[in-house]
Amino acid sequence: MTAMLRRPLLAAACLCVSAIVQGAGDQRPAGPPRMDFTPLAPGTYRLQAIQPVADATLLDERGRPVKLSALVHGKITLLTFFYTYCVDPLGCPFAHVTLVNLRDRILEDRNLAPKVRFVNISLDPTNDTPEVLARYATDFVGGSSFEWRFLTAQAVPRLLPVLDDFGQDVSIETDEQGRPARTLHHMLKVFLIDPRGMVREIYTLAFIQPEVMLNDIRTLYLESNTRAQR
Amino acid sequence: MHRSSLFAVILGSLYGCLGLGPSAIADETCNSPYMSNLIKGQEDFIHVWTLGVEGLGDGSDKLVTIDVNPKSKGYGKVVNSLSVGGRGEAHHMGFTDDRKYLWAGGLDDSKIYVFDVGSNPAQPKLVRTIADLPAKTKYVGPHTFYALPGRMLIGNLSNTVDMGGVTGMALYNNKGTLITKYDMPTTAVGGVKGDGYGYDIAINPAKNVILTSSFAGHQNYMRELGDLIKDAEAMKHFGSTMVVWNLKSMQPTQVLSVPGAPLEIRWSLAPGENWAITAAALTSKLWLVKQGEGGKWVAKEVGTIGDPAKIPLPVDISISADGKGLWVNTFMDGTTHYFDLTDPEHPKETYQKHTGSQVNMISQSWDGKRVYITSSLLAHWDKKGADNEQFLRAFNWDGHELTPAFEVDFAKEKLGRPHHMKFTAKAGKARTLASIAGE
Repeated sequence: MTAMLRRPLLAAACLCVSAIVQGAGDQRPAGPPRMDFTPLAPGTYRLQAIQPVADATLLDERGRPVKLSALVHGKITLLTFFYTYCVDPLGCPFAHVTLVNLRDRILEDRNLAPKVRFVNISLDPTNDTPEVLARYATDFVGGSSFEWRFLTAQAVPRLLPVLDDFGQDVSIETDEQGRPARTLHHMLKVFLIDPRGMVREIYTLAFIQPEVMLNDIRTLYLESNTRAQR
Repeated sequence: MHRSSLFAVILGSLYGCLGLGPSAIADETCNSPYMSNLIKGQEDFIHVWTLGVEGLGDGSDKLVTIDVNPKSKGYGKVVNSLSVGGRGEAHHMGFTDDRKYLWAGGLDDSKIYVFDVGSNPAQPKLVRTIADLPAKTKYVGPHTFYALPGRMLIGNLSNTVDMGGVTGMALYNNKGTLITKYDMPTTAVGGVKGDGYGYDIAINPAKNVILTSSFAGHQNYMRELGDLIKDAEAMKHFGSTMVVWNLKSMQPTQVLSVPGAPLEIRWSLAPGENWAITAAALTSKLWLVKQGEGGKWVAKEVGTIGDPAKIPLPVDISISADGKGLWVNTFMDGTTHYFDLTDPEHPKETYQKHTGSQVNMISQSWDGKRVYITSSLLAHWDKKGADNEQFLRAFNWDGHELTPAFEVDFAKEKLGRPHHMKFTAKAGKARTLASIAGE
């Protein structure tokens, strides 16, 4: 069975419903973001220095230990948490569509492309093993020179400090006996990190506006160039 | 097929099969649009940020939690009271973006308390106290707590220099570290001079716009109301502007003239709408802020609340989820008003009810069927003697009549003066990743 066929089967058994944790009656995810304005031009505004990224050791697609610090420094990084079988239309799939489109836009700029990377960290180390991630990653990075990394953790306890540092909430649906089911609830967040490892913007669903995100990336690129010239 | 196109098709089909179209990105009608976990059904608890009263109970400011689910055995009862160990003029609160934590401020001591309401909403825990706001920003009186992703934007009322109304907004990350500050404009922006005053914050992400309003400084809000209104000079020191900000750059783009202390701001949550509404406390007027031709924002007086000559003092407002109705509480005459906002340019009052000797905050459920009212405005502005009722009153609303559901007497229960309310819901069957990892 190919990876492309395997995923829909998993998806059929599992449903991620982001943005819904507390279960009071009719809670519906918000719709995709509206954008009724012209975004500011890159470099005409300054992004806030929200928080530094704490270091951690994770596993890459080949099962090798990697320092997170190495993947949030030296380039402009877009980092998000996901899991491979999430099918919430306004969760991971929406983020991936946005990131794929952004990658294609970034690749159109030969100067910018080598300065940007994407990092996806799995919320489910138990199921999203390095082997699973390696297959999953081919859908996104295959044939592209763009740096797009997929990480997992050796076990959930190794992941928890990372989630805590980023303020990424995750909970798991349980069955009648209180046992974990395969439904993860998480708030979709995409973190924009500058080459010095500082989070400069966080995009939740209402903020995922590709034109704005691209301009933010270009703003950090211009900022880096200015700093380098000093 | 190009990968992007493939995913677009998958996404499109999922929208179709799940029936999810664009909808209002908002919370129970007044919270930050960046907040998750909307409660569109029955709320389980109301948390009430309560001012301590000397000689009443422990005298401390406290977070009071009330069970408000009619199916619960504890319905209408106080299930938890968490004192913070001091009296600092408890006032407003706001959830973090993930709704796990509730930030609450003191207008007098400028302390900010962070409560964990996500782990067990029936028993909130105080997890952090932030006391560096005045020292690091020179702002006083943290009022509005407005969630941004990973951050909390705080609208303040005053300053450390003269304790007057010139102030600004402070931005903290969710770990409680100050990121930066933004002074309210005191010069002309867009042709109107700013007064530098602050109060509420409301964001429209689709427009990339923040609106702020303006009230008064510590000198005024901590003074006895009876003395204050006799002091003509002091009465000049109330806000008379609103400010339009570019959300991305956090720069003011327009100052709007809105006399009479415009307070709470509510954006219409209906998809595609481009207006917000506010009430000016001193003039008892409703003001509409709407985007006009060329993208410029215009503030327009659109209605009167009660008889302005009697100074009814409109305080809190609550907009319905469809943007077609507005509750307004007037403090002095203890009246709750309902306005039909079908035409926001011409609000029509269709209902009013005397709900207490003094009424201040008003919150409605997302479906509009339940309305909650508290009594206290400010420690020094509340009425005296028998009129100093202190309560939370819950009502059911059928579109025609407010029917009492239950009441908690905050004086009898020795709790204090109830002010701001926030809803939470039980976690259902979901468990945290950490709890499962520990097994």
